[in-house]
Amino acid sequence: MSFWDAYDFWRDAVAGTLIAAAMLGYLGVHVLLRRVVFVGAALTQVSGVGIAASFWLASFLALPDAHQPDHPLWLSPQLFALAFALGAALLFSLVREGRRLSVEAVVGLGWVLASAALLLVLSSGRIVQEAHEVDDLLYGNAVLISPAQVRLLAGVASAVLAVHLLFFRQFMFVSYDAEMARTLGHRTRLIDLALFATLGVGISFAVRVLGALPAFGFLVVPAASALLLVRRAHHAFPLAALFGAAGGALGYYLAFTQNYPTGAAMVAASSLFLLPGALLRLVRRS
Amino acid sequence: MDLLSLLGVRVGYHRRPLLPPVDLVVRRGTSLGIVGPNGSGKSTLLRTMLDLLPPVAGSLVYPLGRPPRFGYVPQRAEADRSFPMTALDLVVMGRLRPGRLGPGSVRADRAAARDALARVGLIDHALLPLATLSGGQRQRALLARAIVTEPDVLVLDEPTTGMDLVAERALLDLVEQLRVELDLAIVIVTHHLALVANSVSEVLLVDRERQLVDHGPVDQVVTSERLSALYGMGVVVGELLGRRVVFVDRRKEQRP
Repeated sequence: MSFWDAYDFWRDAVAGTLIAAAMLGYLGVHVLLRRVVFVGAALTQVSGVGIAASFWLASFLALPDAHQPDHPLWLSPQLFALAFALGAALLFSLVREGRRLSVEAVVGLGWVLASAALLLVLSSGRIVQEAHEVDDLLYGNAVLISPAQVRLLAGVASAVLAVHLLFFRQFMFVSYDAEMARTLGHRTRLIDLALFATLGVGISFAVRVLGALPAFGFLVVPAASALLLVRRAHHAFPLAALFGAAGGALGYYLAFTQNYPTGAAMVAASSLFLLPGALLRLVRRS
Repeated sequence: MDLLSLLGVRVGYHRRPLLPPVDLVVRRGTSLGIVGPNGSGKSTLLRTMLDLLPPVAGSLVYPLGRPPRFGYVPQRAEADRSFPMTALDLVVMGRLRPGRLGPGSVRADRAAARDALARVGLIDHALLPLATLSGGQRQRALLARAIVTEPDVLVLDEPTTGMDLVAERALLDLVEQLRVELDLAIVIVTHHLALVANSVSEVLLVDRERQLVDHGPVDQVVTSERLSALYGMGVVVGELLGRRVVFVDRRKEQRP
């Protein structure tokens, strides 16, 4: 069966990948400009703890978990993942440079503590039977994206885009010079919180659908590719979204036709877009 | 016109004051130099004046009925030159008002930013990336961003660090020109007393180690007698080609 003959098979997977990759590519530019690359990794782990915690809590309270039809809505793993990611985003947004612990140190702590907590919860006797299902929820698979997940991703990406349309100039100002923004009366903590919250929501949903490796790859590689090419950050945002989507589509095609692992193929395909920027830098230097 | 009054303000962190109480008034059209060695508490005082840090004691009074608008020029070392944007992008940032959401009137903001860049003599560099500007040009771009906010008070934190003599003089002349043209109050924070001795009308000397605060018109504070007494060493204030010069008299230092 050729790639195009299998259109019905890959339609949703490619649609979901395009949406997630474009959204992560855009968000990645903010992440790189703020120099908080590992926020993505930390938020991924923290939202994973949320998912595991929802199963653990269901077991602890003797309530039906997410795999049973009558489970309570408030115990939804996605809701827990979102709440945990937002909590971490709030914590990261409160940390300022110049304090005893740098943003980088706090993010690193967040990542390592969340990773440990995730392992502890997953190895707990209470959810040992559900561990496999939890793992599926933690690290999605780009090959198996359902129409419902595509709709959810589209909704999340639209919400993220709406917040960024409203606050884009504030995000840029505070990322560049928070002190000046404060002297002008901008509520920088609130602005940081909005930025980190969109990172938390966008990254945690994308990881659930694509998996950890491609999600982190789309967060870093397209943004770096775009920033190498442009002189103005404003131009990097649409370019990074485009590179992300193109890398995702090309990677999926290569995975399908050459039988490569999907996530790795997507990251490898995205990294092709690093070449033009690297070449341009070499030409400018010579 | 009074813009800001500090009444017995003690600055510090965690309720611990760093300096004795400070009393001063910032007036439109005047220039104040806050001078002290590194770690003397001058940046803490500045942050308190900018309302970024609450005073430990005393109060800030706003005679206009609102805090004055500050145009802040941070230390150049703090400005990330690798951030990918042009000088014009940098200045446009200063036009963003609190609470204004969405893209706003970008065209009007860019026009105002171009005017500000023209005022500081940088209009020809408006579309160049920040990373390609020299230190002096970058400082002018930051100055343009400060004045595009339509400030009442222009605040410059160590504005000439790392500049050569010509660029330093040019920048201070430009600040003086802006003070006159825009009727601004100027506050310059520096560790370099000789620099502000010819550029400001009032000086506030601060030294956390000596628990020193001395404020007054520059011709009363910057004198040999007062500075020698304050610093406990022979400081000479003289005049050369009509300009004030300040230096430490090593001969007096070496006397037994």
